[in-house]
Amino acid sequence: MDFSTLLIVLLGAPLVATLIMAILPSKYTSRSIYVFIHILAFLSVLVLGLYLAANVFLGNEIFALSNWLHIDALSAIFVALIAVIASATGLHAIGYIGGDAKAGKLDNAKVKLFYTLFSLFMFTMLLAVLSNNIVMTWISVEATTLSTVFLVGLYRDKLSLEAAWKYIIVCTVGVAFGLYSTVLVYSNAVNVLADPHEAAFWTSIIPHASQFDPQLMRIAFVFAVIGFGTKAGIFPMSTWLPDAHSEAPASVSALLSSVLLKCAVFVIIRYYSFVIPSTGDAFPQTILLVLGGLSIVVSAFTIYTQHDLKRKLAYHSVENIGIIVFCLGIGGSIGIMAALLHCVAHGFTKALLFCISGDLQHIYKTRDTAKITGILRIAPLTAVMFALGLFALSGLPPFAMFISETTMFFAGVDAGLIWLIVIVAIALTVVMAAIFQLAIKGIFNAPPEGTKKERPPITSLAAELALLAVVAGFIVALPGMGYNGFQSATYEALPDQALSEQSLAGQQSEQSLNGRQQTEQTLTNQQQDSALGKIFVLDNSNE
Amino acid sequence: MDYFMLVNLVSGFLILSALAVVLAPTPKASTYFYILQALLIVGLFIALGAATDSETLLKWSITSFVTKVVLVPAMFLFALKKLAAYKKPPAEGKTKPLLMIGLAAIEVLVCYVLVDGINLPMVAEVKLPLAISLAHFFIGLTCIITQRNIFKQVFGYCLMENGSHITLALLASTAPELVEIGVATDAIFAVLIMLAVASMIYKVNKTVDAHDLSELRG
Repeated sequence: MDFSTLLIVLLGAPLVATLIMAILPSKYTSRSIYVFIHILAFLSVLVLGLYLAANVFLGNEIFALSNWLHIDALSAIFVALIAVIASATGLHAIGYIGGDAKAGKLDNAKVKLFYTLFSLFMFTMLLAVLSNNIVMTWISVEATTLSTVFLVGLYRDKLSLEAAWKYIIVCTVGVAFGLYSTVLVYSNAVNVLADPHEAAFWTSIIPHASQFDPQLMRIAFVFAVIGFGTKAGIFPMSTWLPDAHSEAPASVSALLSSVLLKCAVFVIIRYYSFVIPSTGDAFPQTILLVLGGLSIVVSAFTIYTQHDLKRKLAYHSVENIGIIVFCLGIGGSIGIMAALLHCVAHGFTKALLFCISGDLQHIYKTRDTAKITGILRIAPLTAVMFALGLFALSGLPPFAMFISETTMFFAGVDAGLIWLIVIVAIALTVVMAAIFQLAIKGIFNAPPEGTKKERPPITSLAAELALLAVVAGFIVALPGMGYNGFQSATYEALPDQALSEQSLAGQQSEQSLNGRQQTEQTLTNQQQDSALGKIFVLDNSNE
Repeated sequence: MDYFMLVNLVSGFLILSALAVVLAPTPKASTYFYILQALLIVGLFIALGAATDSETLLKWSITSFVTKVVLVPAMFLFALKKLAAYKKPPAEGKTKPLLMIGLAAIEVLVCYVLVDGINLPMVAEVKLPLAISLAHFFIGLTCIITQRNIFKQVFGYCLMENGSHITLALLASTAPELVEIGVATDAIFAVLIMLAVASMIYKVNKTVDAHDLSELRG
């Protein structure tokens, strides 16, 4: 089977699983049948997703369905993220949803709905990052909302329905802004490219980005940031996020926070690298610096005031999306690299913590942090993973987020944004203090009276251990193919204007290199010249 | 007859119909005004198709008729009838008509200034309708922010989607039919799911007032 066919199979597997589960009547179908199809769906996504991503990192660029589907290094990063996290949270969901069904919170119809929509959610997220058609990209981002709204409101009680309403109304309105930006870009593309069919493809319009009308692209970018930024959870459009994340089943919260937000960030990165050649970098970068900085600072203080564990974690998502957006605002190859690293690092870390929060909710029958205490005595393995997850979230070494946050500081200092970096550093210190407070009280304080010692389901523990291994081993695994992948993705996300400037700088020494080789080489040169680049290249050479 | 003049005229009426949807006393009345608005959009596509000799736009007018004139209002009327929510509408908030009209006028003005800065040949003849389509989008947003009835908030989304759709017709009349169908179909699903959630909320929470949905805070 060639790569194009595999790409279609990757996308088709969760869709076929969705359809099969939708057809099977819940009245006559055992829960284990849904679980079996669910496992097949996420395993196929895991295997095919990682295999295709690895091949893209090795230099292949894959198209399928007459160029409607496309995977380059940038989308490969997100495909790999979806593949791993959807599988881990899918595994976690088996025990979690089984527990809810046993407790009578979910009947068989809702269990069917959960597994059906989970597969549909995987399909829509994959489509969002694999679509080469800008209209299809928008449709798939919108479809992620539509496929998850009933997952957020799965329990059908007052609060979960309130959260579902806020989620759908805010995100749909937000993504309507995304539609407007899509319309503006496409409309301009129709006038730049002779063939209106080609005008809808990212791969066709990106090479002509500098010919687009600057004013129209400024409007389009603002609309894209508001639209897809709402979905990504950027402040102040993040109002839906704490409600949806806290009321959804924990496995869904994990998937929403770790992957869905990143899919929206992925679209923003596409717009970012696309509009800069026509608008210049000052306009989009200023917008992203302001929104990113505000997201970090506001959420840092809000985290302190939260007493609901999942809402606390949700505000951490706003803070970390802020970091990603802030890195894009810094710009340049190191800034973009930091943004991509943080997408992945935060994704794994937050998936781990949301899965654990689900276990704790089942054990303590509450999400109130004042009542979730003494975890070490009640569930020792969960306590250790919870502590390590929180340390990872605070950005301590040797965990994944340490490297991405350090890269952000290097990028900011490199770009001369010292004061902004100081403000962000203060906000992150506040976040770290809030995390330590949660860890110490939750793990070491005495447990509430009557709380029995309990072990979470084996599938949940297995998923959490796998995620913890990735979070802890990220720095060790990064050199080699991982680093090459991030480097190629950074190259894909780097706006043409910046590339051409770098190419000019490197032309004297690199006259013999052509096009892509030249820009990749100059990108490496630039990274070698910076302190961080020296670290990366050193790591790479050690490999 | 100058078809572009007709396009300008119809787009002016679009703003009025959008205001009628927002200010209507009940969601059911909004539905009827929405049908009027959808018919105006169909007319706009036909006029624009005639002005630009675009067969694509004539096809768009057919899909718009099916989706906007028939399907969306039918879904609203079905949901409202099933729940009988329209018999005892919740407080609509105090949206003063003059304030709403004033806001719409400001939105049109600001959008015109924005559109005026675009230097593209395709924009030259349709600056006014383009500004109105952008303003239409923001009137939809204003509807969502100012209305307390969650069914009327869904109308706000429909107005926003209509604004985007008109912009697409004005700027990219040569776009393949598939693009337009994709946009229209997605909107249908979005409205369907929003109405389903609104109906569930009515069944469980016994309210369609957005102000009653505020237990999750902080």
